[in-house]
Amino acid sequence: MISNIRIHLQGIKTALASRMAYRGDFFMSIIIMLFEEMLIPLITILVYHNGASLPGWGIYEVLLIQSIFLLARGIAFPFFFGIVWNTIERVREGVFDLLLIKPKSVLFLAIVTGFDSEDLGKLVGGITLFTLAVSRIPTPGVLEWVQFAVLFFIALLVLFGFALILAGLGIVWIGNFRVYEIFFTVTNFGMYPASLFSKGLQTLITLIIPIAILGYIPATVLLGRPAAGTLGAVAASIAFFSLSIWFWYWMQKKYTSAGG
Amino acid sequence: MNFAILRNRIGYTFEVMKATAFATYKEWAAYRSHMAVSLLVSPIFFLTQMFIWRAIYSTRTTVTGLTLEQMLTYYGITAIINHLIYDSADWNLQMLIRTGKFLTFMLRPISHISFAMGQKIGHRILALWVEFIPVYLLFLFVFKIKLIPAQPAWSILSIILSFVLLFLINYCIGIIGFWLTKTEGIGRGFLVVRDIFAGSFVPLTLFPEFLQKILFFLPFQFITYVPIRVFIGSYDLAGIKLSIPEVVGLQAIAVIVMFVVYKLLWNLGIKRFTGVGA
Repeated sequence: MISNIRIHLQGIKTALASRMAYRGDFFMSIIIMLFEEMLIPLITILVYHNGASLPGWGIYEVLLIQSIFLLARGIAFPFFFGIVWNTIERVREGVFDLLLIKPKSVLFLAIVTGFDSEDLGKLVGGITLFTLAVSRIPTPGVLEWVQFAVLFFIALLVLFGFALILAGLGIVWIGNFRVYEIFFTVTNFGMYPASLFSKGLQTLITLIIPIAILGYIPATVLLGRPAAGTLGAVAASIAFFSLSIWFWYWMQKKYTSAGG
Repeated sequence: MNFAILRNRIGYTFEVMKATAFATYKEWAAYRSHMAVSLLVSPIFFLTQMFIWRAIYSTRTTVTGLTLEQMLTYYGITAIINHLIYDSADWNLQMLIRTGKFLTFMLRPISHISFAMGQKIGHRILALWVEFIPVYLLFLFVFKIKLIPAQPAWSILSIILSFVLLFLINYCIGIIGFWLTKTEGIGRGFLVVRDIFAGSFVPLTLFPEFLQKILFFLPFQFITYVPIRVFIGSYDLAGIKLSIPEVVGLQAIAVIVMFVVYKLLWNLGIKRFTGVGA
């Protein structure tokens, strides 16, 4: 375990060191990431600024959902979502084999070597917006914070599941970075109150592909009005995560190469 | 330069662009499944917008003067226009400069910009049947979005101008690579600003009045917002209403201005290029 942590820290250190070779571009990228993450909240602000609204939801309640989503993505993208581009790039270039021959889990090595330092901007953006949104809603109690922490952890598991599925796809769908677009578009539903969608879609994003748990469900807990189907979403998330692990190993077996 | 030489030069450039477009078409046809991702992404993104805007409009009939139908049409047109004008000239040029491969273009008897334009044309011709037509039919028949231009001839002209303008803007971003070794950050930042102020995410009329006034004088609106408004058949920004021929005329002027900017940047930037081997 300690050895794994050391390897992980070394991976982060190496990624940061190599990125620092172009430090001007690095800091610029972080700032841009931060602004990029604010795009959907900006649209929300513009809508409310024009006197319109999402029925039954105040501006800071909607921003809370979006901030939780962005916070989860801000943790996922630098720390483990890098397995997606790392795998796609390695498979395309024929150097995925280098991970296969090392005496460690391939998944672990894919995470370690996929640390994405500039995505830390997403984390800064998520924290900033979350702090702002939480300060503008009625103060949640200790129980709400505990429930939120559990649900937020599950949201991270779901994001890890998405990363595994996309990276797994990258093994057979060579060089297709557009899988990111699929991810961003599909998970877009998680940035809005699920109650706005049709019943069928609500069921889909809560109990089948648990996108609602990425923002909406944890937010409802903090707001003191837990969403219907929260337990179902938790169960679906665990099932989704398990399925994604299986999918990753299945795809890994499908990997073919001429040796890099 | 006499007329015959000029005609020969134009003919030669056209042949270069045609050959590049054909090669790019064949190259990308091998990755058509990558392009076909749009068949999933565009409808799903639109579906989200449909639910969100329907909810917003459930308590009112207009938002900044646009009805629900107009708002959904706006997003539908945005999606299909983006498939027609998509461009990656910035990334391509920066990559060539950073890796030194640009050197090979210095040795060829062709201008890089005509090569890059040829690439874009080939890429978009492929996208025409892989992305544009299927997505258009989906929007028309599944989402029932009225995707018939109010004035087809002006609309086609506006989209062509937008196609060229986006290329020139991106190409200018690419030229920054002559000054900065790694330009991903600044390039990405510029693209975010460009997409927000071009109206790719929300109609520009949603922005505060003072910002709309600034946006009116910037070239970004001519990339997406103007072709969409021409498609719809009316133009309005910052309280300024223009007829379709007037706004398309302004768009043409923006293209000319951008071409001049490109020429200036290119003449300054090319002097800074150094490459070894390649």
